[in-house]
Order: sequence, then structure tokens, then C-alpha cells
Amino acid sequence: MNSKLINELSDLVTNKVITQDTASRIEQYVLSKQQHKPNKLFTVFGVLGSLLIGLGVILILAHNWDNFTRSIKTVFAFLPLVIGQIFVAFSVWKKKSSVWKESSGTFLFFAIGSSIALVSQIYNIPGNLSTYILTWIVLSLPLIYILKSNTVALLNMIAITYYACEVGYSFSSFSESPWLYLVLMTLILPHYYSLLKNHTNANITSVFNWLFPLSVTIVLGTFVSQLSELGFLMYLLLFSLYYNMGKLPFFNEQKLRRNGYLVQGSLGIVIMVLTMSFDDFWYLERFFFNAQETYVSAILCAANVGLLIYSYSKGWLKTFNLFQYLFILFSILYVFGLNIPIVGTIVVNLMVLALGITTIKIGADKFHFGILNYGLLIITALVTCRFFDTNMSFVIRGLLFVSVGIGFFLTNYILLKKQKSKVESLKH
Amino acid sequence: MKRNYILILFAVLAIAQIAVPAQMIFGREHILKTGTAYKFNTEPIDPSDPFKGKYIVLRYQVDRFKTSNKAWQREQDIYISIANDSLGFAKVISADLEAPETGDYVKAKVDWYTERDSTLHFSLPFNEFYMNETKAYSAELAHRKASRDSLPNNTYALVYVKNGEAVLDNVFINAIPIATFVEE
Repeated sequence: MNSKLINELSDLVTNKVITQDTASRIEQYVLSKQQHKPNKLFTVFGVLGSLLIGLGVILILAHNWDNFTRSIKTVFAFLPLVIGQIFVAFSVWKKKSSVWKESSGTFLFFAIGSSIALVSQIYNIPGNLSTYILTWIVLSLPLIYILKSNTVALLNMIAITYYACEVGYSFSSFSESPWLYLVLMTLILPHYYSLLKNHTNANITSVFNWLFPLSVTIVLGTFVSQLSELGFLMYLLLFSLYYNMGKLPFFNEQKLRRNGYLVQGSLGIVIMVLTMSFDDFWYLERFFFNAQETYVSAILCAANVGLLIYSYSKGWLKTFNLFQYLFILFSILYVFGLNIPIVGTIVVNLMVLALGITTIKIGADKFHFGILNYGLLIITALVTCRFFDTNMSFVIRGLLFVSVGIGFFLTNYILLKKQKSKVESLKH
Repeated sequence: MKRNYILILFAVLAIAQIAVPAQMIFGREHILKTGTAYKFNTEPIDPSDPFKGKYIVLRYQVDRFKTSNKAWQREQDIYISIANDSLGFAKVISADLEAPETGDYVKAKVDWYTERDSTLHFSLPFNEFYMNETKAYSAELAHRKASRDSLPNNTYALVYVKNGEAVLDNVFINAIPIATFVEE
């Protein structure tokens, strides 16, 4: 990326945009900046190498070398573990660069898993996958802080999510909510927080910005035990929380592709609301106040309200954005509207329409074609859903489609024209 | 100074990382050396685990017990007292919710209870036998063939038992270890 900038410089000089002096100063600045940074590519390959070797070792050991005696197999169980530990100790002792720390940590992570697996294999210890993964996590999680390793943190996050799914989404009737998931994720949070604080613009931080909410999204469903009706509200509240977090200036000022909270929140809200816009959805009967789902929903709702009040007190809520307040309406609908299907259906459909228009407006204000068309897509999705489940006449449905199509052309055309006139006015 | 703290911390973690598998080994070795050996009649089938490799699942013929006690719940931990029968195979003496004070016993899980024939069905925990990946499937085939023979009790698992803990040592077909049997 930086070399690309340097390549551009000569072009800028020949076209007399900048002087030769400025160009050489930029070049010096870029090069000096590069020298201070450890080679990123090196870290990536180091980590990839250890990742592959670690996984390879697990597979090779899983072959089950039954010509060896039990004691030799036992030695093999410890060999990768000890090698990994020596590398980690060496990197800490010699204060090696992050390349060393990330690679040795990654290898040790897999060595821990392989050694427990091999011992279970040698002694025919019947496997409960969730206990196995939990042991693995507990033994490797401290490495995050000893090595300050992002890869070990990511691998742990994946393992924790896997563990939660194994416990919570089990197909037997004995699945339970993985409360330990919350504890384990909390243990990773300090690392994530320090990344956000000290490396706000690093690529690895945006990986966390995407994977952290994704993990919570995947696992939230395990906390739905009987009242699956409330599951929809829980997810809507969660996505709303993501959206509100993504709207905090800290995240909102970053590029959209780095803001996993905003993107996941927005997509999640739209998907949930579209699902609820179906007629059948609101024929729900059971609703208990004293249930696990109610508590989880209440906590999520409180978190949303708290975040909004905080944002308001800081003066961050300058413009009205429907996405941020939608959860209030849905919580009320859930408590009061469950037995009146017609109200729920109509309100939700109007909401989706309003969300679409809000998005189009945001896109138009920001001169962002992606957001504008995302808004149009929301409306298209709404129309498509209604295409299937209402008794509207074909003519009306046809006219709806035609008008949305015209909307696509018009809004994009108007925005394009606006943008052009803006560029023109800047030139003069 | 800070580095030393980190290193000490890591040393503790490294010891824990070694201790967990080591403790798994010592516990099992102890049972293999000092426990009592039992033969459990069995029938194997072959699945695989992403981390531990291929194994055969053993379905034991010791999986039920006639009892008038009806207070059993699914997945409940129970203690099965065992002894050798006249042919040298394990048989159930009693099933209890508490660990018996004398005699050998193994921990098991309740499957279900049928009132019609007042029988308690349960699963023994040592039901996975890990094998070389090339042999696991042949082991299943070999077993199926062996069980078609008219000889009774020709496939069994050798299990060492001590204080309720059990370690599955090997599986035999016609008195030959299953891995060797498959090679022949």
C-alpha cells in the first residue's frame, strides 16, 4: 500500500501537483515509518505455518500408530507440547518480536489440543467433546496475555464459540445454556479492549470487530430454551445493541468495512424485521414473564436504553435514525401485541418500509450509493415477501414492483446528478 | 523484572499444560496396574472423532438389570456392582444410586426403565476403543463375521476396574487382540 503511494509520487510531480521537494519528503516519511513496523507479512506467514503444522500434527497422531507401545505413544503425546512450550519460553525470555510470539503461541495452542486428544486415544477415554474443548480452552487462554498474542485470542474465541454450540445446540434433549461462554468471553475482553485502545486502526482489530459480535450472534440462540417466540425479540435486541454500538463515534468514524457492529446490526435488524413481517408470525400464544428468555431480553433491552441515554448525554444523537430506536417499539409490541396479530403485522410492515426509507435518506445525505441501494433492497425484500403471502390482486402487486423499480432508477439518478453538481461547485 | 514475572506465570501454565494429560495417564496406569480385570461381551461399530481419530463404539451385552426399584431418571449417574460369572465374564449384581462399599463397581448412566418387564437399561462409559485408521472398519467387519459364528462369548472387551473407575484396555475376537486379528 505504501509502495503504491511512492509509485504515485512521480506522477504527481510530473503533473505539477506537488513539488519534487514535497515528493522526497513524503517518500522519506513513508520509508521511515515502514522501518519501525515489524514485517506484517512475516507474521501472517509465521502464524499460517504454525497453524498448518499444528493441525497436521493432530491429524498425524489421530492416525493411531498402533505398532508403537503405549509408553512410546505417550512420549509422542508430550513431544509437540514440550516443543511448543520451549518456543514460547524462548520468545518471552529473549523478548522476541511479535512474529515469534504469534507463531510459537499458535503452535502451542494446537499442541495442547493434540496432547489431550492423544492421551484420550491411548487410554480409550470416552469423549465428551465439550469437556475436551473446555480443557483445551482453560489450558491455552492464559497464553493470550503471556504472549499478547492476537492469534491465540482469535483461536480461543473460535474454540469458545465451538464449545458453546456443542453444549447449547446439542441435538439430544439435554442441551443446556452455556453460561460458561459468558465467563470465557469476558476473559478475552481485556485483550480486545487493549486492541481497541492502542491499535484502533490495525487490521487485526477490525477482525475482532467482526468476529466478536458474530460469535455472540451464533451463541445467543443457545439461551433460548423453551420460549422460541421470545428468541426473535432477543435477536432483535442484540442486533439493535450492535447498531447502537456501531453508531458510537469511536466506531462510526472508522470505515464501514471495519465497523462489524454497524453492518451486522443493520443486516440483523432488517432480517429479523422481515421475518416478523409475515402474517403467521404474530399468532403466538405463550408468554411468560418468569423465564430465562425474558431475563435475557430484559438485560439486552436495558443495555440498549443505557447506551442510548449515554449517547444522548454525550450529544452524539444529533439526527434521528429509526434503526437506533426500533427496539423500543418491538419490545412494546411483544409485550402487548402478541395476541392481536393484525396490529403486529401491519405495524411491522410499516416499520420495514420506514427502515428502507431511512436508509435511502442516510445514503442520499452521505452521497453513498451502497447505502442508498441497500435501502432500496430492503423495500424490494419487503415487496417480495408480500408477493407470496398476501391476497393482493396481481395488478396491485405488479404496480408495486414497477414502482420500486422506477424508484431504483430515480433515486440513483438524482443522487448521481447531485454529486456531479457538488463536484462542479467544488471546481469553481 | 516484568519479563521474569511473565516467565514464572508461563512456567506455571506450562506445568498445568503438562499436568492435565499426565494426570489423565497416571490415573489410568494406576487402574491398569492395580485394578481387577473384567471381560465384557460386546459388539462394535465404527465412527470417527476429528481430534482423536477412528474408534469403534462398543455395545455391551451387559446393559440391563432387572430391578423392582422404579425411581430412575434418564442420564442419571448410577453405580453397577459387577462380578465374574462361571465363564469368566462380567455380570451385574446390583444397580444403586450410591457407590457400594464392598466389591467392584463401575459408574454408568441410566438410559430408561421399562415397567413391563421391570428392567433398568443403562450405558457403560468405557464404550470407545481407539484404533488405527486403516483397521477400524475392518475390525467392524471382522467382528460381524465372528459374531455369526455359533461360538458364544467370542468378542469381548478387557476392562480394568478400581474404585468405580474403569479403563478399557483392549478388545478381543476369539481371544486375539482385535488389532492383531484384523491384520491376519
